Amino acid sequence: MISLEKRLESNISWVLFVYSLACIVGFIFTAFLLWSSGTDIPKAFFALYKGSLSSKKAIFSSLNYATPLILTGLATVVAFRAQIWSIGQEGQVYAGAMSAYFASLMFYGAPLWIHLLLVIAFGALGGALLGVLSAVLKNKFHVNEVISTVMINYIIIFFLSYMVGGGPWTEISDVNTTVYQQSDPVADYSKLPYLFGSTKLHLGFLLAILSAVACHFLIYSTPFGYEIRAMGHNPVALGHRGTNTHKTLLYILILSGAIAGLAGVTEIFGTSHRLKSEALYGLGYTGIIVGMIGGLTPLGTIIAGIIFGGLASGALYMKVLAKVPAALVPTIEGMFLLFFLCAGVAARYKIVVTGKDV
Amino acid sequence: MSGQALLETKMLTKHFPGVVANEGINFVLEEGEVHCLFGENGAGKSTLCSCLFGYYRPDGGSIEFKGEPVKFRSPRDSIRYGIGMVHQHFVLVDEFTVLENIIVGTNTEKWSLDLEASENQLKNICDEYGIDLKFNSLVRDLSVGEQQWVEILKSLYLKVEILILDEPTAVLTPEESNKLFKIMHKMGQNGISIIFISHKISEVMLADRVSVMSKGRLIDTVFPRETTPQELTNLMIGREVKLRVIEENDNEYDRSYPILSINNLKYKNKYGKFALNDISLNLYSGEILGLAGVSGNGQKELFESLSGNLNPDSGTISYEGKEIQGRSSRVFMDLGIGLIPDDRYREGLVSDFDISENIILGWQRLNDYTKGFFLNRNNIKRLAEDLIKKFNIMTPSSTVPVSHLSGGNAQKVILARELNHSNKILLANQPTRGLDLGVIEYVYNQIKLKRDEGFAVLLASEELEDLINLCDRIAIISDGEIKGIVEAKSTSIQDIGLLMAGQSETSA
Repeated sequence: MISLEKRLESNISWVLFVYSLACIVGFIFTAFLLWSSGTDIPKAFFALYKGSLSSKKAIFSSLNYATPLILTGLATVVAFRAQIWSIGQEGQVYAGAMSAYFASLMFYGAPLWIHLLLVIAFGALGGALLGVLSAVLKNKFHVNEVISTVMINYIIIFFLSYMVGGGPWTEISDVNTTVYQQSDPVADYSKLPYLFGSTKLHLGFLLAILSAVACHFLIYSTPFGYEIRAMGHNPVALGHRGTNTHKTLLYILILSGAIAGLAGVTEIFGTSHRLKSEALYGLGYTGIIVGMIGGLTPLGTIIAGIIFGGLASGALYMKVLAKVPAALVPTIEGMFLLFFLCAGVAARYKIVVTGKDV
Repeated sequence: MSGQALLETKMLTKHFPGVVANEGINFVLEEGEVHCLFGENGAGKSTLCSCLFGYYRPDGGSIEFKGEPVKFRSPRDSIRYGIGMVHQHFVLVDEFTVLENIIVGTNTEKWSLDLEASENQLKNICDEYGIDLKFNSLVRDLSVGEQQWVEILKSLYLKVEILILDEPTAVLTPEESNKLFKIMHKMGQNGISIIFISHKISEVMLADRVSVMSKGRLIDTVFPRETTPQELTNLMIGREVKLRVIEENDNEYDRSYPILSINNLKYKNKYGKFALNDISLNLYSGEILGLAGVSGNGQKELFESLSGNLNPDSGTISYEGKEIQGRSSRVFMDLGIGLIPDDRYREGLVSDFDISENIILGWQRLNDYTKGFFLNRNNIKRLAEDLIKKFNIMTPSSTVPVSHLSGGNAQKVILARELNHSNKILLANQPTRGLDLGVIEYVYNQIKLKRDEGFAVLLASEELEDLINLCDRIAIISDGEIKGIVEAKSTSIQDIGLLMAGQSETSA
């Protein structure tokens, strides 16, 4: 009889095996999906490769796509590690983008680096404020964070829609028609500078990597990180022994919100260079998948973020070169999430063959 | 007792990852007998019962019912054979009445419930055995002891042939326990065979036969009347141990000024019942104050109030004259008050954390354990290794998750942390529950040591004998009220038992 038994200690080669298996199965299912939509499969995979890995340009494009996903993934890690199921990353990205945009107008004319720092700081602040809102709702009124964050997401998304769709930030040339639902381009000097001369990899990627490293040390090596992990494992014991868990929850949601806010900054000031909903849509929700696939660890999130960035960058080519329907990309992402989650569970078990059925 | 084997296991074996819970068990239950499974925690008693009840499937060996091999794939199968089990954690619906709880899921044949007929049937059973229960009370309003009667009644209503009871006396007062044993023997006369689990030697002697278990094996099955408590204990431990003897307690301390003074504490729980009903107690440095009573009579709420985890509705808690009721647990800890909670895995430990991380739980921001922004891993590890040695915690290293430790070692982790970080008061709620004799002895010695250093200790326990041996004074709690405070030197289990049963000091 074959049965599953829980592992007492994890085995690295088994872990690698199940995750590789998840990848392979993911690709097989992707091929099946492509086939079912009538696409030329080799052509589609080639386009994916071309758009994500084939050249320096493609790789940098992948990393730019990865940047906000790593950040929203980290925001997920910080909250989910404490078993706080915040779904607010989406709204926090919007809030971060908007308050950073506000800062770029407000501090126009300040010296370059001060200006950039203020833009980035305001982005973090915007996301953090939404985190505070959810924390207060939970601490004072026992509102479940899943409900509050989802509702706040709607509010903030429609708020942006108003601001750039007829509101004060609407593109000047489009005020009367409001067709494009976007702001004027940001000033050249507000844009996040490119890291290597003419290549388009921007400062945001560095910011994302630094954030991940900082989160890693924060979670594993500081008292606050200790509280985050303890909150995730046993909030009752944490609270019983002298830690104010309401405060811990507040700080966690502030941090998570701030990191998600940064994702909005990098997308608007690094990539799209205009404030528009289209550029921000889905970054928060995809970040949840990225954080989960990254095993809720900061360093794993970098890897998962880059994989998803590559997928996003390659998807563009698939669309153009192989005529893959755009809606297929999130489907593929979701599928990979399922297989990786299965792998995450499988990694904790081993297969045991016993003599006979009793 | 007819001598006829009713239920039998042959070479039954059950493994869990990393643990052999049962190994080659040959167990025989005879018709109409009261059979005790006796052994330390982790000896495999509960596992064996769970196999007999079909809750676990054995890895090897067989189970025979009236000589026929049977396979229980789930409790559904064993119930069909007339086997019932009362677990340590009851499976009752709080919001249902006693009657509803008993008949729920029992008459599957019909679409409608015939409450009246069931009630009459139950009344007959109650009359026969002398069980006193109000069928229309909600289960949530019953004491834990009464809830157990509901479970037993349910089995009787289902006309079980075999009844398995997992530590039934853990939730009963001494008087209720006596009654239970009388009823168990009466059931035996009516042809119901009973298996009960116990680790209390006094109860073991009341069984018809005893099977002694140790480390997953069944050591021997004996008749209590042909043996002695000492022999049985030796069998269980596998070596010679001295049963605890009453020591002369000549502890002297100053009773002029309490370090902790509790006055008229009241707290109403969410069901509107007074969990704490006007409790007043003084605690002095250098004494152990016992709190005797069956769990669920207000101990939890009292300890939570005294550790800053519950804000009482009224009354005061004064520490050296300063009122601190309702302040946060941080405040209480910083005053030097240590806490050993009764539910150690829920309130005292983060099981997935390793030993060193649990050692600093609640103190993670202390200067000793930090270096700038970061945790000072070296200091923490050194402390953990010191304490592992000092408290004799059995573990290969300080980085083992607490979930991998035995209950006794996990409790020692809490003890180590609390004693290392407190210096005035130790609050211990049921600190020895579910532990081996060896560890119990150890915990008591540590508590005594701390008292000698000048700690004030509040110790709640259901083991009256232990309280009498260890404490200077004993307060008796029942229904959220202090029923009396006695000097340990001049009291007896019977006196305390009477007070627990709700009689006031004067009439006792």
